[in-house]
Amino acid sequence: MQAAAYIALSSQMALHRQIDVVANNLANSSTPAFKAERMLFAEYLNRGAANQPVSLVQDLGTVRDTKQGPITRTGNPLDFALQGDGYLQVQTPLGTRYTRNGRFQLDGTGQVVTAQGYPVLAEGGQPLAVPTDATDITVTRDGTVTTSQGESGRLAVVRFPNERDLVPAAGGLYVTEATPVAAPETVVQQGMIEESNVEPVIEMTRMMNIAHNFSFAKDLGDSESDRTRSAIDKLGKVS
Amino acid sequence: MRSMDIAATGMLAQQLNVEVISNNIANLNTTGFKRQRAEFQDLLYQNQRRPGAASSDQGTIVPVGVQVGIGVKAAAVYRITEQGNLLKTDNTLDVAIQGKGFFQIKQPDGTTAYTRAGSFQMSNTGEIVTADGLVVNPGLTIPADTIQVSVNASGQVLAQVSGQTQTQTVGQLELATFPNEAGLLNVGNNLLVETAASGSPVQGAPATVGFGTLQQGFLETSNVNVVSEITNLITAQRAYEMNSKVIQVSDQMSSSLNSFR
Repeated sequence: MQAAAYIALSSQMALHRQIDVVANNLANSSTPAFKAERMLFAEYLNRGAANQPVSLVQDLGTVRDTKQGPITRTGNPLDFALQGDGYLQVQTPLGTRYTRNGRFQLDGTGQVVTAQGYPVLAEGGQPLAVPTDATDITVTRDGTVTTSQGESGRLAVVRFPNERDLVPAAGGLYVTEATPVAAPETVVQQGMIEESNVEPVIEMTRMMNIAHNFSFAKDLGDSESDRTRSAIDKLGKVS
Repeated sequence: MRSMDIAATGMLAQQLNVEVISNNIANLNTTGFKRQRAEFQDLLYQNQRRPGAASSDQGTIVPVGVQVGIGVKAAAVYRITEQGNLLKTDNTLDVAIQGKGFFQIKQPDGTTAYTRAGSFQMSNTGEIVTADGLVVNPGLTIPADTIQVSVNASGQVLAQVSGQTQTQTVGQLELATFPNEAGLLNVGNNLLVETAASGSPVQGAPATVGFGTLQQGFLETSNVNVVSEITNLITAQRAYEMNSKVIQVSDQMSSSLNSFR
């Protein structure tokens, strides 16, 4: 009896969450190395009256679109873009985190750090540092860092057999308990930055779709309410 | 609705972006100006269904969870320290730095500020000062009756005094470098000051290892590239519009909820 109203409700709840995801994608359309998220919906079968199956909608998960974002030139010697499915390692107070946002700086002691000030790790798990009086920092395609004072180490570039193991943890960082493996096929590009892979056109059309579906669900709820009311009116008139 | 707050963070971020770009364009002709870029980061994620949670008593787990991000924030406004072009001015006391380093300027409060704008002047006592009248360290005084002043690549200031055949060495301009130039704090008037993030200055003569060389009669122009600033401005404006559209749609959805029968 109430099934139609609940179906409309389940659809509206799901759309409500989906627009949050779309809003977050659009808000991060200028965040370096941001990966767009998608909502994953599934049908949820419920036995209604007279044992008729009624399908509700369920938001099963969010999936990250791990497609490479466009690479743009910045001219900053400590900006790195990764070409391939690798990640750079960052040491945070909460443990090792992974990132594709290679916008780094030197701190006062010559350590290469992220915008939050977390040290970037070199191969071997040590923070990457260059001598404080070094000039002309160059980084080769395999991540080897060379300055006027000689070689200073190599950026640790890693990948994961299953990229979905990585969970976003704000600030462009990802966290996982999975064990990383070396990513020799990932190319490090110096002076470049990976932009957000959000495609505004797709997000806007998705948003329009959500708005339309939302109003369809509302119309369904409204007409269901009218139907119930008229049923009560008519059935109530016992002659 | 959360989507409204998320879109609002997006609009605020793009507003900052436009402000940074407009400051870059405004300083297109500022000597020694380094362009800036706003850097954004995603905000925290809310877990509505954790990835890895058990989905049955058979030990199957949820491969992906429901994680909703709550927007964007400005992480930093970076200064991009790329070398600007050298512009020939033929002015005796215009000195450009080619390579690393900053001129040291003595501020009225006694502290030292740093600049790459080498458009210097002479004070009434013959001292080399900036356009604002602040003394350039180490405080060189050009002797009276000087016909010609020359500054060589390694920073030596030489004066040809009237009636003398030999040029006279007035002194040596020194440069300072920092482990992290991007960590210097802008204080306006082309000046930067040291912070904990920049590290301590390393002083040295120009044209030695780790320091740039000087070019007399040239000025370093700002490293702002107008074309890329304008394209960034367009992108920022469109991104702002898209976020405001999200707010409109969220508003429509909320208002349709209010009219639910």
